Amino acid sequence: MKKTFGAFFVGLLLLVSHISLAGSSVQPLAKIEIFQDEETLKRGVMVYYNSCRLCHSMKYIRYQDLVEIGFSTAEIKKLRGRLTEKRLTSINSAVILTQIYGLVPPDLSLMAKARSQGPQYIYTLLTSYYEKSANIYDNKLFPGIRMPDIFSHSLALNPQEKTKTENKILDVTAFLVWASDPKAQERKSLGKYVIAYLVGLSIMFYFVMKRVWGRLE
Amino acid sequence: MKKVLRWIDQRFPLTSFIKHELTEYPTPRNLSYWWNFGSLAGIVLMIQIVSGIFLAMHYKADATLAFDSVEHIMRNVNYGWLIRYLHSTGATAFFVVIYIHMLRTLYYGSYRSPREIMWWTGQGLLVLLMATAFMGYLLPWGQMSYWGAQVITSLFGAMPFFGDELVTWLRGDFIVGDATLTRFFALHYLLPFIIVAAVFIHLVALHSVKSSNPSGINLADKDNIPFHPYFTVKDLFGLCIFLVIFSYFVFYKPNLFIMAENYVPANPMQTPAHIVPEWYFLPFYAILRSVPDLLGGVIAMGLSVMIFAAMPFLDRSKIPGGSRYRPFHRFMFYAFVIDIMVLAYVGAAAPEGFVIPLGQIATFFYFASFAILPFASKIEEKWLIKRGLPAEVEAMMQSEEAQKADRRQRKQDRRKTKRKDQ
Repeated sequence: MKKTFGAFFVGLLLLVSHISLAGSSVQPLAKIEIFQDEETLKRGVMVYYNSCRLCHSMKYIRYQDLVEIGFSTAEIKKLRGRLTEKRLTSINSAVILTQIYGLVPPDLSLMAKARSQGPQYIYTLLTSYYEKSANIYDNKLFPGIRMPDIFSHSLALNPQEKTKTENKILDVTAFLVWASDPKAQERKSLGKYVIAYLVGLSIMFYFVMKRVWGRLE
Repeated sequence: MKKVLRWIDQRFPLTSFIKHELTEYPTPRNLSYWWNFGSLAGIVLMIQIVSGIFLAMHYKADATLAFDSVEHIMRNVNYGWLIRYLHSTGATAFFVVIYIHMLRTLYYGSYRSPREIMWWTGQGLLVLLMATAFMGYLLPWGQMSYWGAQVITSLFGAMPFFGDELVTWLRGDFIVGDATLTRFFALHYLLPFIIVAAVFIHLVALHSVKSSNPSGINLADKDNIPFHPYFTVKDLFGLCIFLVIFSYFVFYKPNLFIMAENYVPANPMQTPAHIVPEWYFLPFYAILRSVPDLLGGVIAMGLSVMIFAAMPFLDRSKIPGGSRYRPFHRFMFYAFVIDIMVLAYVGAAAPEGFVIPLGQIATFFYFASFAILPFASKIEEKWLIKRGLPAEVEAMMQSEEAQKADRRQRKQDRRKTKRKDQ
């Protein structure tokens, strides 16, 4: 009886988490895995810096934060050049961007968390451009998107070129995942010790409990 | 040490308090782990208050700064991410613990005499908790925060005669805005302390009627054991197990219960495709949407939360042992839990196609299971007695009767001696 009672709550939790995870979209999201090694992240920063930064800011990321993914102070200095901003801001100003696109393109700092299955969403979005009719491009995941196919994924002439673009997109996705939660690594490594400590404490209390209750009768 | 204690005891009932409420406080020895969730709820309340106070040191209750200040906490404050994730995961944990605590009470019939006041103070605590959670959810100022508050406050507009004025009064503005954020922040900081006070009332009631137990009767004195050390250690063990699970979510799945949409800053000009409340409000939200009329829906939703208070009147069966010896009641309990899960699904899904009739059926069943209870419990009781109760239940009922008779006898004796004295 107790077991069924318990199974119910586990079931309830699973159901609720399933509901909160489920997101419906037009295009099925690509099943990709994100690797966050230093090299990938560094390449990702460069992809953002040379392509995305034309229009998208990342206002929660300071140049100084890039030290955390392995950039040296000298490299950052070189990257910044004569820029005085502390944070990663778009090259084109909001005024110009509004004139071109009719809106300010969203800030990318939190993008990997701001969509359900964020990393998969970003990757799929950037690889879902197609030629709708002669010279008119659209996106399967986001029909009517105003952003152009910046990585020219839909224009790739041969498989090698396509793979090269896809790798680039994977790199920038990895960087966006890092940027959305820079403390993830610290969190996960601290979590191990916290949980190990608590498991130890639970075992200890279990035996204390057995001993105390053993005194009865 | 003894001297100090004696000094204090002459001025404050410390030793007698500890004796009465801890070291000699009688607790039924047969409590199962389902009885751990009351103390767990208290601990989660403390986690929420402490993490909340630290968050408030860095948070800015200003519509232009709120979202940024939360990110500031997550990125720049020392261990800010930990404090924030403790608080956001703590909200979910609080409802998990409270819902289990409530379901245990429903399963074992702990709301029955003499614990009605415990149950009603608990009902008040649930409402306070829901209000606190709802107001706290606005503070990160994300899209779902904003639109959730917009939808829920607009429900008060269903009030006849002065609905619109009431909504404006609640929001402090015609739409949810800076005025709403600041007042929600003030109230979100205030309500937890009112909850603490209400918890004390809940505990005073508990220490007067004592814990219920799986047998459903008040045990004889020999079957009660002191709270300390037996239940302090059992609660500590339960707490550690809880913390292991809680930490797993805090450190490895902290965003599981935060909707992606809420990492987009609030935008009053853009309504999200689906406005979905937090998981703990989903069943009630489903009931709201299942009633075609808005005013009717609001009343149904309010009733669905408050109807639990009627349980002591609705359940008329005197069979002890909660649902264990009541097959129909047990069946209804599980059916009710499934119904809540169905409602949660309906609340999360877009209201189209089969979801609409499913929600209506589940809503009907939700209220019907309360409505039939007075008759079902009495019929079941008669049927069970006619069929013959198991020997152990008979024994329990007899022992309770015997205890009552014994108490009556002692009372009469005391009265007699009093009269003699006079």
